Amino acid sequence: MGSTVPFKLITPAEIVFEGEAELVIAVTTEGEEGILPRHAPLLAALRPGILRANVRRDGSTERLERATGEGFLQALPDGVTVLVDEALRFEDIDVAKAREELAAASAAGDRSAEAFAAAKLRLTGR
Amino acid sequence: MPSVRELRDRIRSLKNTQQITKAMKQVAAAKIRRAEAAQKRTRPYAQTLSEMLADLVGAVSAVDHPFMREGRVGAPAAVILMTADKGLAGAFNSNVIRLGESYAAQHPGTRFYSVGVKARNALRRIGHPDHRTWTLGGDKLATARAVAAEVTRDFTSGDIGAIVLISSTLVSAMSQRPLQRRLVPILKEDLAGTQERAAKPSGALEFLPTPEFVLAALLPKYLEFTLYSAMLETDAAFFAAQLVAMSNATDNAGKAIDESTIAMNNARQAAITKELLEIVAGAEALAG
Repeated sequence: MGSTVPFKLITPAEIVFEGEAELVIAVTTEGEEGILPRHAPLLAALRPGILRANVRRDGSTERLERATGEGFLQALPDGVTVLVDEALRFEDIDVAKAREELAAASAAGDRSAEAFAAAKLRLTGR
Repeated sequence: MPSVRELRDRIRSLKNTQQITKAMKQVAAAKIRRAEAAQKRTRPYAQTLSEMLADLVGAVSAVDHPFMREGRVGAPAAVILMTADKGLAGAFNSNVIRLGESYAAQHPGTRFYSVGVKARNALRRIGHPDHRTWTLGGDKLATARAVAAEVTRDFTSGDIGAIVLISSTLVSAMSQRPLQRRLVPILKEDLAGTQERAAKPSGALEFLPTPEFVLAALLPKYLEFTLYSAMLETDAAFFAAQLVAMSNATDNAGKAIDESTIAMNNARQAAITKELLEIVAGAEALAG
């Protein structure tokens, strides 16, 4: 068992996850960034994408995967906090709707919405 | 004096009214709890967001973002007037609307945006027939985002020089107050409350890609989130106001029922007495 860091995933509407994580991988504007325990203090802007984390739950390690909207990641000595607009589980995603959103966003040239819709589809494996 | 029948009808109608107001009161009470819970759930986000903002403002030497500069000189201010979609909550909506009207009176040329059906109707009435408008109900996050995008566009293009929000705040369960606050420009002194944390050495905090970039991403989120949380607060305050209004209405209906019942009893007794007198008089006349 590796060391862990307190990890919080927060949207405006709720705390999606609060617990211990061994690893958090988020998509920053500069590319994917993996955060391990005792990471140097960091504040990063996130692009819509898929957030992955290895979290401890009931003594075992679990994979947490969410399609996330725009947001921020803060790594401080006392924990890692991710703030995002939305954090959807793959069960929450309506594939047909996500496809429509992707098409509408590309047509409108909305890069952020396009990336979010694409992330949703990728999370569902389509 | 109204007849017994008229009074009985009036009591029946009052009782119907009272049942409706009582039901609305109970619904409002249940919805307050939900609205307050929704509001409470935004707190972790709010707190982290202002911590990040403080760290950023502490780290950025020269702030250069449109939101942190004074707007174009001479450009009118924009007011986002936020009310509930529905009424029957006492002076709740009209207090907000009145504050908006007095702002417009002091600042000629004010441009309005409205959130909430009541604000929309009021603005159309007072001479802003085609302002941009959204409803309070529905997906609040999406609405907040849309409103923020619209005012941001108008602010950065220089059409408006400042963004002011007029909405209700929940002072306590029993009292709501309309509040006017400037959302943009966000001046350094507005963040005075967060300076304490900024003063605390946050160590060698690294920014990805740069503090300026993160700040430029964070400020619009801050505006969106402020609007979202104001919408949730309006919701909670609305139900609190409705609870009080409906509670008073139920009490008043009860009082009116009591008064009418007494009047009806008096009228009925008077009719009986009159009839008795007539019988007695008739009997006496016969006996005479």
